[in-house]
Amino acid sequence: MPERDQDRLEAAERVRRELAIENQLSRAQARTYVRCLQATWQVPTILWTERDSARQLADARRLLHAAHIFRSIEGAASQRAIDCYRRTGEILEWLSRAADTIRSVVPVELMAAGAYQLGGLPAMASGLLSQVRSDHDGVRLYSAFLRADFDGVLRRAALFWRRYPDLTTADASALLLIAMRGETPDGEAGPTVGWAFSVELVRSLGLLADCLRRGDDERLAVAMGKLGALDAMATRTFSDDASLVIAIMRAVADSFVAATIYRPLRALGALRPERSSRLLAYARDQFSRGRGILWTSQQHGLQRLLEESSFALCTPTGSGKTLVANLALIKELLLREDEGLQGLLALYIVPSRALAGEVEAKLTSELGHDITVTGLYGGADWGITDFWLTSERPVVLIVTVEKADALMRYLGKILMARLRLLIIDEAHQVVPEANEATRLSFSDHSNRSIRLEGLASRILSHRADVVRIALTAVAGGAAGPVARWVEGRPNAAPVGVRYRSTRQVIGVLETAPNTQGVILLDLMNGLPLYLRGEEDPVYLRLQIEVMPQLPPRWRNSLNRFNCLNVLWTALHLADEDQRVLISVAQEPEQTMRWFKEALERTDWQGVVGFEPPDGPLKARFDEARAACLDYCGADSFELFLLDRGIATSHGQMPQRLRRLMVDLIDRKICPITVATATLTEGVNLPFDLIFLTSLKRRSWDPVEEQQVIAPLTTAEFRNLAGRAGRPGAARGIEGMTLVALPTQISTTGTAGRATQRRQRAELAADYDRLRASLVIEERDANDVPSPLALLLNHIWERANRLLGVAPDAFLDWLERTAPTVVSADAGTGASDGTARLADAMDELDALLLTSLEEIARVDEAAMTRARAEAQLAVLWRTTFTAVATAQETWLEKAFVRRGAGIIEHIYPDADERLRLYRYGLPPVVGRRFEAVARRIRELLVAADNYGSADPTTRIDLFEALGDLVSGDRGFGFRVRRTDTDEAILERWSDVLGWWMNEPDVAGPSPEDLRSWQRFVADNLEFRLGVAIGAVVAEAWADGAEDALTLPSLAAWKETTGLPWIGFWARELLRWGTHDPFVAFCLAQGLAHTREAAGARRREFDAWLHDEQDDPESEDRIDPQLFLRWQASIPRAEGAAGAASQMRAALTGTTGARGSYAVIPVRRDDGTAWLDPAGFELAVTRPMARVGTRPSRSDFELVTAAGEPTVRRLFRPP
Amino acid sequence: MHTCPPPINALDQWLEPNGTVERNYGHLLLEQKGTIDQDLIDALRPYFESAHLDAREYFHEQIGISLHPDAAGQPLPISYPNCLPSKAHRGLFGEVVAGLVTEAYQDEFVGGHEWRVPIFLFREHDDVEKYLWALRFDPSRTREIYGRHGSDFIGIALNAQGEVARVIAGEAKWRTSLTHSVVKSLLLGPKEEDEDTGEMVHNGRGIWFEVNRDTPVPHGLRQLQKLLEQRDPDGHANAILSIDRAVFGQGPLPGRTNLVLLIGNGARRREALSCLIPWEEAPAEYTAAHDLQVVEIILECGDGLIDELYATLWEDA
Repeated sequence: MPERDQDRLEAAERVRRELAIENQLSRAQARTYVRCLQATWQVPTILWTERDSARQLADARRLLHAAHIFRSIEGAASQRAIDCYRRTGEILEWLSRAADTIRSVVPVELMAAGAYQLGGLPAMASGLLSQVRSDHDGVRLYSAFLRADFDGVLRRAALFWRRYPDLTTADASALLLIAMRGETPDGEAGPTVGWAFSVELVRSLGLLADCLRRGDDERLAVAMGKLGALDAMATRTFSDDASLVIAIMRAVADSFVAATIYRPLRALGALRPERSSRLLAYARDQFSRGRGILWTSQQHGLQRLLEESSFALCTPTGSGKTLVANLALIKELLLREDEGLQGLLALYIVPSRALAGEVEAKLTSELGHDITVTGLYGGADWGITDFWLTSERPVVLIVTVEKADALMRYLGKILMARLRLLIIDEAHQVVPEANEATRLSFSDHSNRSIRLEGLASRILSHRADVVRIALTAVAGGAAGPVARWVEGRPNAAPVGVRYRSTRQVIGVLETAPNTQGVILLDLMNGLPLYLRGEEDPVYLRLQIEVMPQLPPRWRNSLNRFNCLNVLWTALHLADEDQRVLISVAQEPEQTMRWFKEALERTDWQGVVGFEPPDGPLKARFDEARAACLDYCGADSFELFLLDRGIATSHGQMPQRLRRLMVDLIDRKICPITVATATLTEGVNLPFDLIFLTSLKRRSWDPVEEQQVIAPLTTAEFRNLAGRAGRPGAARGIEGMTLVALPTQISTTGTAGRATQRRQRAELAADYDRLRASLVIEERDANDVPSPLALLLNHIWERANRLLGVAPDAFLDWLERTAPTVVSADAGTGASDGTARLADAMDELDALLLTSLEEIARVDEAAMTRARAEAQLAVLWRTTFTAVATAQETWLEKAFVRRGAGIIEHIYPDADERLRLYRYGLPPVVGRRFEAVARRIRELLVAADNYGSADPTTRIDLFEALGDLVSGDRGFGFRVRRTDTDEAILERWSDVLGWWMNEPDVAGPSPEDLRSWQRFVADNLEFRLGVAIGAVVAEAWADGAEDALTLPSLAAWKETTGLPWIGFWARELLRWGTHDPFVAFCLAQGLAHTREAAGARRREFDAWLHDEQDDPESEDRIDPQLFLRWQASIPRAEGAAGAASQMRAALTGTTGARGSYAVIPVRRDDGTAWLDPAGFELAVTRPMARVGTRPSRSDFELVTAAGEPTVRRLFRPP
Repeated sequence: MHTCPPPINALDQWLEPNGTVERNYGHLLLEQKGTIDQDLIDALRPYFESAHLDAREYFHEQIGISLHPDAAGQPLPISYPNCLPSKAHRGLFGEVVAGLVTEAYQDEFVGGHEWRVPIFLFREHDDVEKYLWALRFDPSRTREIYGRHGSDFIGIALNAQGEVARVIAGEAKWRTSLTHSVVKSLLLGPKEEDEDTGEMVHNGRGIWFEVNRDTPVPHGLRQLQKLLEQRDPDGHANAILSIDRAVFGQGPLPGRTNLVLLIGNGARRREALSCLIPWEEAPAEYTAAHDLQVVEIILECGDGLIDELYATLWEDA
């Protein structure tokens, strides 16, 4: 180290501390940002002078210099350099977005984008540059490069070469230099160093872009050498800013070379060289999706993937976790030696069915060539298309925990034999909240964290060799324990980078009658934007019309006034191209009704600027609208709002409609969305702005007879706020989350004033509480709550408190006491203390019994106490609980003793244990279910005329099935204890008829729609579906030879002894139809609505009559025949592609290299094929058909054999 | 690194110095007394080659890399700076002379500092701004997209510890004929039509404007530092560190002298010892607080000198 380097570092460090501490803004920086926001929102800005701008620019330059020192001494990975680059990017971005006059003197956008790239925030670079339009071709080209838009670089370079064909000859560069010396006879100025330099820069960037995309390292090195030489020359001969931008581009180019996806893929390819060409194709494909340059978090993840197998990756949403998961799939499924006839299998566990769809779509589009991707989120346990079961290709199953659990019971042995990789998405969900609600959820058997813990631990204990990867978006918190869990090592640490990939602003929308809306800005990335009590608050005073006065009855509800004010504001902001989510804490149907009624008023006419889309998006909108009409009805709030550009979503909405709504939001067709929090669980959607109308949920506890108020937790709020502001998604770079707070009461009558004042004060207090807790930084936690520990502690506390079990007697008591002994009401959903304790014990039994049965099945030996104890001790070590907290030894003892008790005392009959295991219900509930199961099976067996039965008869079957379960509060129907829901339970058969689409059955009023949907989701789809599923699974297991028998449609009827309705029943409940053919069409995407699917029935019937002389009832619903029919439908011919090879005449090359990368440039009557550095190599005539966006494709000029030809090597998806 | 000492003897025979220093204002008039002959050119050549060496190396390296896919690595028949147009040579000449005079006549300069030019920056290619951002070859285009060029010339004085104690920076301009109107345009900016009166008046954006508004730490200093980091990080470790501190505003800023150098052939009716810029006191248009050093170099047949000199740089290479 040169002798003064330490002093240089100290000097730079002083600047970093002064200006660039992560998550700290100086006052001047906060002002710069506020002014930027105000200017972006086109509202009056704070006082600002040129001097302020000059100071910020000077600070940015100092930071760049400090970054240079850190980088040159500490290396490119210097964290301190990264801090400086990030803040430089921010300052310059804020000046740029405030339309500062400095922009005309200094290329601030280019410098900002470069600084963001070097600071490891590529999304910010592209977010900023996507908003800035320059009139200058050079600035555009460099912008494209700095945002890693290599297609854009090549498009711009091609335009340049088209404009200057003289510069494309082989000797053009030399001629240009020679021409500089010559004095032109007419006195015109000749080319200059500046021009020659610019031309060479275009050559270098074009070549770099092409080589990066193609993974051509040889010429990439030449291009980098050239860019480096240009940089060195610029430092000597050009002005400060010009040379600075070139130096930044060079450094960014260096970072691209280091971060190209080809690097890790080549390393992976070494595992199995014969497949490396597929990996290279994958890399090229990633470049065309804008993901060829890896983010820091991805590089870390891939490094781990290369070095070892299992790990936890912890990075924020939107930082590309999916890519790491994809490569893990490639590594484990494609690059391993084949081990058997059937392909390897990966389980990809997602937290919701909505997310399963998203992940399936992504994986299919990227890996569908090589891997079968199946999202099992339908009703049936293994789907209509069973090819994955017998596939020789590798398979990825994307499943929720519940579905994975069902699969394990049904196909566990087959699954485990093929399983190679387990991916757990949003793995932090294994950490429960340590509160009363969680304890209640154990008794309710609705806790997801314990289900996830149980499933993953069982898999790990059976197959310790299965590779595990946990993905989590939550920084700090659970990452450490999750890493220890998936890696199975006490000192495991998560891979990850702690940074926010988006910028989040939190504030308040102040609402008041007869006043324009005002936004109070409060926090940016958790940092206060002004000091409360010391500085003036920071406002955006919206320049929108005042909301018309509401009718008295409406404004007498402060909540309604507040919500409508939010809608009013949202409608105006949507006009300015902002994407708005109105997040509703509860009862979305009430908000939807308020919105509909407001939009029907004459004084609200004209505020809706929405027009349904034209072009390719029209079909999307029409499809969603048709589904909305189908499932919600013509009078529904949902349809009314959709027609006005307002999408809706809540947890009870039918899955298909939810997915279509998400699509409308994702494609930015609907500018406004009204939704509950379920919309954003794990799903990334492009919102600029999120409004919250309340920070708590209220419910009524009928047992305690009191209102229960649950405030929104900071975790929930953070998750929601994290969804705002996907960089580059829309107008702003930041996501803004605003809590709507009335600053005045809305009623004008005297009666409700006191109430409204109190409500107003409460809302303000809620916000203050939230704000205060958000400012407290999230911390890494070493010890976190864990499901099993919470459950065991809960059981112990209640046993001690309610039953007086003494500490030293607890383990004996636990081993010997059945839930039904604790409470006669066990398994009936009763809410008294002992019943809830019994249900909590039943929850523990469910986990233990399942584990023991699976152990018994693997070992194929009778379970004894000793074996149970030994195996449960092994299992314990694979639980999350074992690594999450400092071990309390009694927890493990209690776990093992209860397991031994199940074998010896509580469920000693092995056959019964097997049956209970197969049902998948908590054992107390399962025991009661046995009798019902027999009757369900009888009903199904008898329903062999279902195919030809009329709708009423068909629905009668489901009513009979429902009757069997409706009365039991364990496995049967359950509703919340509200008058509305109790009333729905009374008339559940009406709901069934409506849901199953029985002709002439009336549906709910728009007001009641959501309650009906809730009943459908909770009871018909879920509880009745589970009951039928359990019976069908048992029928299969009884008939199958052994646990390794592969299910197949061909053998299904014979094995189960059931008619086809047994196969379809759950699927029908899921799609809301009585006709299996309709369910089939919807599932296979052959129709968009139930009506349209029903209309295709005729096509199928006609085909069936051609195929068979006298089809029987069973033929009409035979899934094998459905599939054969589907295969018989002629497919639409794909658009004719361009000719694959074109004969070419060489012009600027000898052809000695054999093959050349080329880009097309139109020229007169033909196409010139240029090297990416801008040298013409060949021409083809007539003009080549290369499509509308040829710069996205790769072309190659082949000169090696015979006549030269040009061919397309890569076409973007 | 630029290491060649100034050819003092040749300068003494060629130029007659007349220097004055009034408080913080220095004025140096250099009038040609001998003729320009081959001996002078031979004496100047090593200094010019040394001054251009660094830029030449990097220019050659850059143009030596061909991006043509068939490029066989044939060296281009190009020699820098010879290959540049004669107009560019005049700009370069001014910059090298600024360094030459600053090093050779430091006793005559205001403050009497020990100036040195470790590496020459040649930032005369302001046309790069014209082409780099727009990517359009249009020499007639005058509007610049981003404009801020900084000073033409930069030199430093080191203290005993090798730290940069003082910086000299400024403008060096060659004009074939140094008439009063030419000089006025240089100093006060080209003439434009006054919108109110319709008269042609100087637009105020000349050398004084640029010198007055330059930042406390001249922009070129950062570039000079970058070259020192590449070329001689150990030999100039203290200088490099002191530039860091200057850029960061940590500790006292290095002292600053502004240089304005005009070089060209004397106007036809020029009288000996007459000055283009008054020597008695600093011009009223100069408003910066720093020392000001003005140099006027009055030649005869200077164009021939430049052409001959630049035609023969590295002739033997």
